[in-house]
Amino acid sequence: MREFLNRIADWLRRDRLDRELSEELRFHREQLERDAAAAGKDVWSARRRLGNVTRAREESRDRWSIPSLDDLLQDVRYALRGLRRSPGFATSAIVTLALGIGANAAMFGVVDRLMFRPFAYLRDPDTVHRVYLRATNRGVESWDYGGEYTAYLDIERFTTSFSAYAGFAHSAMAIGTGEASQEHDVGMVSASFFDFLDARPALGRYFVAAEDTTPVGANVAVLSYEFWQSAFGGRDVLGEKLQVGHIPTTIIGVAPRGFTGVFLNSPPAVYIPITLYAGSNPSRENAATYYTRYNWGWMSTMVRRKPGVTVEQASADVAQAYRRSWQVMRDLEPSEMPLELAKPGGIVGSLKSGAGPNAPLEARTALWLTGVAAIVLLIACANVANLFLARALRRQREVAVRLALGVSRWRLMRQTLIESLVLSLVGSVAGLVVAQWGGAAIRRMLITTEAASLDTLSDWRTLGAVGAIAVVSAILTGIAPALLSARGDLAKTLKAGAREGTYHRSRARTALLVARGALSVVLLVGAALFVRSLDNVKHLRFGYDSDGVLLVSRNLRGTMLDSARLVELRRELVATAQALPGVRRAAWASSVPFWSTSSTGLYVAGIDSVRRLGRFTYQMTTPDYFAAFGTRILRGRGFTTADRDGAPLVAVVSEGMARALWPDRDALGQCMHVFDETSPCTTVVGIAEDIVQQTSQLSESSRYQYYLPIDQTRPSAGNYLLVRVAGDASQSVESVRKALQRVMPGQSYVTVRPFAELVDGARRSWQMGATLFVVFGALALAVAAIGLYGVIAYNVTQRMHELGVRVALGAERADILRLVVGQGARLATAGVVVGCGLALVSSHWVQPLLFGQSATDPFVYGVVAALMLVVALAACVGPALRAAGADPNAALRAE
Amino acid sequence: MPPDSRRDLIPGLLDMLVLKTLTVQSMHGYGIAQQLQRLSDDVIRVEDGSLYPALQRMRQKGWIKAEWRMTPNNQRARYYTITAAGRRQLGEQQDGFTTLMAAVQRILRPA
Repeated sequence: MREFLNRIADWLRRDRLDRELSEELRFHREQLERDAAAAGKDVWSARRRLGNVTRAREESRDRWSIPSLDDLLQDVRYALRGLRRSPGFATSAIVTLALGIGANAAMFGVVDRLMFRPFAYLRDPDTVHRVYLRATNRGVESWDYGGEYTAYLDIERFTTSFSAYAGFAHSAMAIGTGEASQEHDVGMVSASFFDFLDARPALGRYFVAAEDTTPVGANVAVLSYEFWQSAFGGRDVLGEKLQVGHIPTTIIGVAPRGFTGVFLNSPPAVYIPITLYAGSNPSRENAATYYTRYNWGWMSTMVRRKPGVTVEQASADVAQAYRRSWQVMRDLEPSEMPLELAKPGGIVGSLKSGAGPNAPLEARTALWLTGVAAIVLLIACANVANLFLARALRRQREVAVRLALGVSRWRLMRQTLIESLVLSLVGSVAGLVVAQWGGAAIRRMLITTEAASLDTLSDWRTLGAVGAIAVVSAILTGIAPALLSARGDLAKTLKAGAREGTYHRSRARTALLVARGALSVVLLVGAALFVRSLDNVKHLRFGYDSDGVLLVSRNLRGTMLDSARLVELRRELVATAQALPGVRRAAWASSVPFWSTSSTGLYVAGIDSVRRLGRFTYQMTTPDYFAAFGTRILRGRGFTTADRDGAPLVAVVSEGMARALWPDRDALGQCMHVFDETSPCTTVVGIAEDIVQQTSQLSESSRYQYYLPIDQTRPSAGNYLLVRVAGDASQSVESVRKALQRVMPGQSYVTVRPFAELVDGARRSWQMGATLFVVFGALALAVAAIGLYGVIAYNVTQRMHELGVRVALGAERADILRLVVGQGARLATAGVVVGCGLALVSSHWVQPLLFGQSATDPFVYGVVAALMLVVALAACVGPALRAAGADPNAALRAE
Repeated sequence: MPPDSRRDLIPGLLDMLVLKTLTVQSMHGYGIAQQLQRLSDDVIRVEDGSLYPALQRMRQKGWIKAEWRMTPNNQRARYYTITAAGRRQLGEQQDGFTTLMAAVQRILRPA
């Protein structure tokens, strides 16, 4: 090994070694001659004794020459020379490859981050899993189960396959006090969490099991290194107080640099014991029962497999544990579904939920886009291979001559492959720049946080992947021309004149052309499907008008107010907002769609268990709610100031809820018991349109929502103010915030954001799918059109003579036009047919990503096919006109 | 002086002799050739046609190091020095060679 390295090192400085050897040999000769002269001997006999100097030189030189390396270098130089000689070819090939490789590098960065790259500091990542639990509700299986702290305890209690368990969750909370307070992500983790990671604290210590206990953990906090630097300048903060949301804590440690726990999206600024968070939850019910009841799902569980336990065994263990846990839950809450119906189960899977069974839409879309990027690369490779083939055909005589002169076919093949490799590598470098620039945009769309910042150019995983992609694309682009150069019939090519030897219908080129056309069609179909999905989402009636609405969140943060004061503050906030110029309506709300929803006991005469019909969420509001939020009242009435404490209890229900509860009756005037079976009748006075509450419900239809006047239910409840402003909501954020902040007492504060932001987040994956599919699809269409144009134009040039003869023999202009355009049309049609077939085959998998759009929509296919044909014909027109102008005289003169 | 003895040194023998020579002190190529000739009473004459390739080979194997120095006569010459790996190699070769010679002698010994 060492000898080999020395050889390489010697090879690199072989010129110097040559010089040194010459000097050494000269010295040897001089010494010999001097000694001979001193001894009075003949100089010539001394020289003879010197032996064969040439042999010495040759044999020494062999020690530092590596022939294959020299040949390789020669081929690389030859390739570079060839590329310099045809800059047009080189540029178009490199740009094409750069786009293809860049797209793939960018997508690799995203997918790797979402699914594969292990978290920093995680010890033995192969044995660490997230627990995924599932159950079936009304025939629909879902993986959104087991988020309760109790389920976490049950998994630990009922399994034997794991050596360690940890619970974790995260949430944005205001950190700090007064003006300096800012919202940051907070990680709520069990003490055992830190044992999963090989990270010594940069300062102080982590919290221990004794500080992470039910009912309430110790008031301690560990800072992230980055937050420590940015907020405290890295000074000694141990023992200092830190306000985390409404929880006062003491800083006991700082995590090391780059420590993000197992949080992908936004690395927490602060870590607190999971039981501290749960036990201090503002909802008194949650805080009191989170470790005994199963009402509050909010966290995740991670486990470490014991040595010798397989993933399958571990999954089976988790599944049986969750069945037992479900039974425990049902014993506590008899209204929950029985085991036979719920069919609870579970597995251990990737820590990254993007690679788990309920991968978020973003992750699935990213995976699809990776496939799209791969197709773009394939098209790029086909295009470059085509350029190579054209060149190889032009060079056939040159190749034949070289073969005749004794160059081995293997050497010729290697030369072609090296040429394509050089191109790919140059393309990769350019592609990395593309990825660095475009990838940042893609990652922002997909991952959306500072964690997304990834330097493509210095990331080894990405560089490695790009290297592999470059080699693959080199092989893809080089293999056909390489085979061609090795095949050629020597004698025939040499015998044939320049003219005869050049025009070939190349089956390989035709196939490539059709393949490219087909792939473009696939991408265009995908693009159209996503664009229409996005369009559908945008036009979807959410059941409210999110434009022009500001969401104001009130955060009391420990400022203790009695309920009378809370009601007063609420009235003050609503009044202040209402009085602001530009504000149309303001209303108080206890929950926010897309943000936080709540449900409670609901009882209706004649229905056994309302809960079994689905999740019914409620909203406690002030009278202006419907006007402020833009939710239409379809029938009956909304609330008025008359619906106050003491007046008859009233409710507004959503249309879907009305249909579900009273399928064969008019819901208006019906009676419901809210909160408690024994509470008095709440009469339905209005029916509102359905609203969309969650991302996942964009494509589902369970929209059971009812509204209660807040003054009749819990006047002091709620933390949200919805403000409808005139004009662009984002313009009014600051003015509204300032005005409302003045009303807030003590350390409490408000945050204000345009409501549309929440909704846009839900549209994101379609937005991204549409954007990227369109970009990639347009790219593919352009590449395919240029390829078609190139082939047709090339053929016309090669056939000019033949066409001239045809004209001389009486062919009409129209005949010639038909001939040329017909060729293009046939190729394009073949591409369209194959492409549509491919798209139909894959439609099954793309369907779940779409919204309100069939993946086999004939309209989409028709439009794409027409577009492809039009573009193909346009590409043929130029060459066809040139062909029609073929000069019969020139052709005949040449004969 | 039988002429054959100078030409066909057993493969590896030259390496061993050069390494042995270098255990005394660093030398340039000419010096090594002279030294071998002198020590073997002119029996072994090393042509530089084989000496220099051997030196390069041993340098690449890491048995010897080369550096340019001035000779006592103030000429620039490349001096070779044995390395630790070279000494180990020499030890092994010497053992092997001694065993081999003993075996050969046993065979050649008159019955």
